[in-house]
Amino acid sequence: MTIKSVHLIAGVILAASFAGHATAQNASEINIVLPEQPANLEPCGTIITNVGQILSRNVVEPLTIIDPKSGQAVPGLATEWTQTDPNTWQLKLREGVTFHDGAPFNAEAVKFSIERMTSGKVTCSNIAKFGAANLTVTALDDLTVEIKSDTPQPILPTLLSVVMVVSPNTPLDEAVNDPVGTGPFKLASFTQQTVVLESFNDYWGEKPAISKATYVWRPESSIRAAMVQTGEADLTPSIAIQDATNPDTDFAYLNSETTALRIDAGFAPLDDVRVRKALNLAIDWEGLAQLFGDDAQRASQMVVAGINGHDDELAAWTYDPEQARSLIAEARAAGVPVDTEIELIGRNGIYPNGTEAMEAMMAMWQDVGLNVTLTMLDVNDWLRYLQKPFPDGRGPNLLQMMHDNNKGDAAFTIPIFYTSEGSYSTVSDPALDKEIADALAATGEDRTTKFQAIFNKVHDELALDIPMFHMIGYTRVGTRLDWKPDITTNSEIPLANIGLKN
Amino acid sequence: MLGYISRRAYHSIISLIGLLTLVFFLTRLTGDPSALYLPLDSSLEARAAFARLNGLDQPIHVQFLQYLQNLLSLDFGQSLRQNRSAIEVALEAFPATLKLAVVAMTLATALAILVGALAAARPRSLFDRIAGLVSLAGASMPDFWIAIVGILVFAVGFGLLPTSGTGTGLHWIMPIAVLMLRPFGLLVQVVRGTMISALASPYIKTAQAKGMKRRKIIFGHALRNSLLPVITVAGDLATGLINGAVVVETIFGWPGIGKLMIDSIIQRDFAVVQSTILVTAVAIFIVNIAIDVLYVTLDPRIRY
Repeated sequence: MTIKSVHLIAGVILAASFAGHATAQNASEINIVLPEQPANLEPCGTIITNVGQILSRNVVEPLTIIDPKSGQAVPGLATEWTQTDPNTWQLKLREGVTFHDGAPFNAEAVKFSIERMTSGKVTCSNIAKFGAANLTVTALDDLTVEIKSDTPQPILPTLLSVVMVVSPNTPLDEAVNDPVGTGPFKLASFTQQTVVLESFNDYWGEKPAISKATYVWRPESSIRAAMVQTGEADLTPSIAIQDATNPDTDFAYLNSETTALRIDAGFAPLDDVRVRKALNLAIDWEGLAQLFGDDAQRASQMVVAGINGHDDELAAWTYDPEQARSLIAEARAAGVPVDTEIELIGRNGIYPNGTEAMEAMMAMWQDVGLNVTLTMLDVNDWLRYLQKPFPDGRGPNLLQMMHDNNKGDAAFTIPIFYTSEGSYSTVSDPALDKEIADALAATGEDRTTKFQAIFNKVHDELALDIPMFHMIGYTRVGTRLDWKPDITTNSEIPLANIGLKN
Repeated sequence: MLGYISRRAYHSIISLIGLLTLVFFLTRLTGDPSALYLPLDSSLEARAAFARLNGLDQPIHVQFLQYLQNLLSLDFGQSLRQNRSAIEVALEAFPATLKLAVVAMTLATALAILVGALAAARPRSLFDRIAGLVSLAGASMPDFWIAIVGILVFAVGFGLLPTSGTGTGLHWIMPIAVLMLRPFGLLVQVVRGTMISALASPYIKTAQAKGMKRRKIIFGHALRNSLLPVITVAGDLATGLINGAVVVETIFGWPGIGKLMIDSIIQRDFAVVQSTILVTAVAIFIVNIAIDVLYVTLDPRIRY
C-alpha cells in the first residue's frame, strides 16, 4: 500500500467522520435512549415501562393524571368527576379535543376505550389495576360519561389514570402498533430501531417546546450514558449508579420502588412474631445501605412518601442484634423451633447488588443464631413463589422482592400483600382483612388514616415483612434540556414538560 | 453437483422438521408466558383469557398439530410481544445480521490469510511473533469488553466514531472491528499452522529447486493447498455469526437476529423463537452448501 493510498483512506475516514457529526438535528428535535425496545405500542400496555415512557401523555392521554407531589388525581381528559353513589361516578370531559386522525373526542370515545380495555379481546395490562371490577360505561351526553362498577370504587379517579383514550377508529378486537390518541405528539414511525414522535398541530393544550422526539434503545447503561455525554442522545432514564458520575447531568430521584423481603408466616418458626421482629432487628441497615447507594432511603412500609396512606411517622427497624438474640431465645424457650432451616429465596438481577444484599443478610441472620440458607432463582421460577398458588412442598421462607407503586394510593399495595385473598399474601388474618376492607371503602382523610394504621400494625405489631429501602433511579439529561426526573419517570416521560435551554 | 445439492436439501428438510418439532416442545417446557406478559397483579381470569386468546389453553399435542397445519399454509404464527407475524419479525432482523457477518467474515478471513501466510513464511521472525501475540489476544479477549473499551476510546474519548446505532458508514466500523477480532485471531493460527506444514512439503522443495519466485511459492502453491482446513474453520465461525452476534448486536444497538432470538426466548415469544431458528437454519444450510462447493473449487480431487 503506498503512502498516497494511506492518505486517501485516512481522508475518506475523516470526511465520513465529519459527515457523521454533521447529522445534528434541528434545535427542537431531541433523541431519547431507553434501556429496552418497546415490544409493541399498544396503548393498553402503558403501565409497562418501555411502552409508557413513549406513549403515555405523549401520544395517548389518560382521563386523569396522578400529581407526582400530592399523589392525587388531577384533570386529564376528564376535567371534573363526582361520585353519585358508592358504585357510580360521573365524569365531565374536556372540550375542543380531537384525535390525531381527526375524530372528535367525546363520551362515545371514552366508552369505546374502556370497552376495548375490558373486552378481553386485546391483552391489556392496564386493566389489571381495576382488579375484578366489572365496569359499565354510559354516555350521558356528548361530554358526560357515567361509569358504574359492580363493586364500590372510592378511588376511581386514581384508577382512571391508566385509562388511555384511543380513537374510536382503533380496532376493538386486536392489539395495535400504531396508536392514535389525543396527545401533543403523534406517532410518525415505529421500526426495529426507532420510534419517532412528531408534534401534533391541533393539540388542545399548550404547544410543547419539542417538535420531534426520536427514541432508540440500548440495554447497556454505560453506552446510554456515553450517548448523552457525546451528544448523540439528550436523555436516558435508569442508568446504573456507577455510570452516574457527572453531577451536572445525572439526577437521582426516588423512583417509587421499594425493596423488601416477604416473610412466609405460614410456617414455623416464621409464624412467631418474635422471630419476625428478630429478623428485622438483626440487619445492620447502615452497612447494607452501602450496596444501595447513598441516596436510597431506609423503608418502613411498602409505599414511598407521596402515596396516599404512607406514614411519615412510622420509624424503620434499627440494628439491634442483642435484642434480636433475646427475642429468639424467648421464642425458643416458648417451644418455637427456631433452629428450623429458613430458605431465603432471591431473584437473579432483581436490582443492582441484589445477590450481594441477600448474601449479607443471610450472614447477619446466621450471626444471631437463625438457620438461614440462600437460593437464587431466575425470574420464572421466582414468580412461582411470589404469586398464589404457591408451590407445594415449600417450607419456611423469605422472598426477595421489589414493589412499585406510583399510582398515588396504597390500595395498589395493601390488599395484594396483606389480605387473605391477596395474590402475594402469606397471611390469613380475618381481623386484618376487615380493617383493610374498611380502609378500601373509605375516602379522603379517613382513608389515609386507615391505611396508615394498617402500615403501623403490619410493621410494629405483626412484623409481616422486612422492608428494606426506597430505591433511587438515576437519569442522565443532556445540557440543552431543561427537565428533571421525578417519581413518575419510570412510567412516563411527558415530552411536553421538557424545556429547551437557550 | 446439482444432484448432490438436491440430496443435501432433502436431508436438510428432514433435519429442519426434526429441529422445529424439538424447538416447539422445548419452548413449551419453559413455562407459561402469561406470567411475563401480564402484570404481576393480574387475576386468574385475566391469565385464562390471555391463554385462550393465544391458543395456549389447548393441550400441547393440539397446539402442535395446529402449528404444523399452519406451517403448510406458510403461517408461522403471531409474535406475542410485537402483535405481528413472527416470520416477518425474523426476516426483518436477519439482513442486518447477515450484512454484518458477511463483511466481518470476509475481512477477517482475507486479513488472516495474508497475516498467517506471511507469518508462516518466516517462522520465529519478529512479524511472526507479533502476529502470534495479536491473533491470540484477538481470539481470547471477551468481545463485550473490547466493545465497551472501543466506545470509550473512539466515541467518548476522541469523538471520531458514533457510540452505537446504524445509519452512516461510520456506524459499521466498531461493530465489524469487534466482530472480526475473534475469527481473525483463530484463522491466523490455523493459516500459520497449515502453511508451515505445506511449506515443508516435497512439492514446495521442487518448486524452490525450479527457481520459482518465493511470493509465487507461498501464495500460488502452498496457500492454495492450505486453504481447505481454513475454509472448514471459517465456515464454522461464519455459521456462528449468522446465528447472531448477540453481544455486538446488544452493545451497538444493531437490530439483528441474535438479539431478537435471545429476547424472544427470555420473553417466551414462542412463534418468534421458532421463526428465527427456521430462518437461521436455512441460512446455515446455504452456507454449508457453499462451503462444499468451495471445497470442489479448491481441490479438484474432491467429487460429490
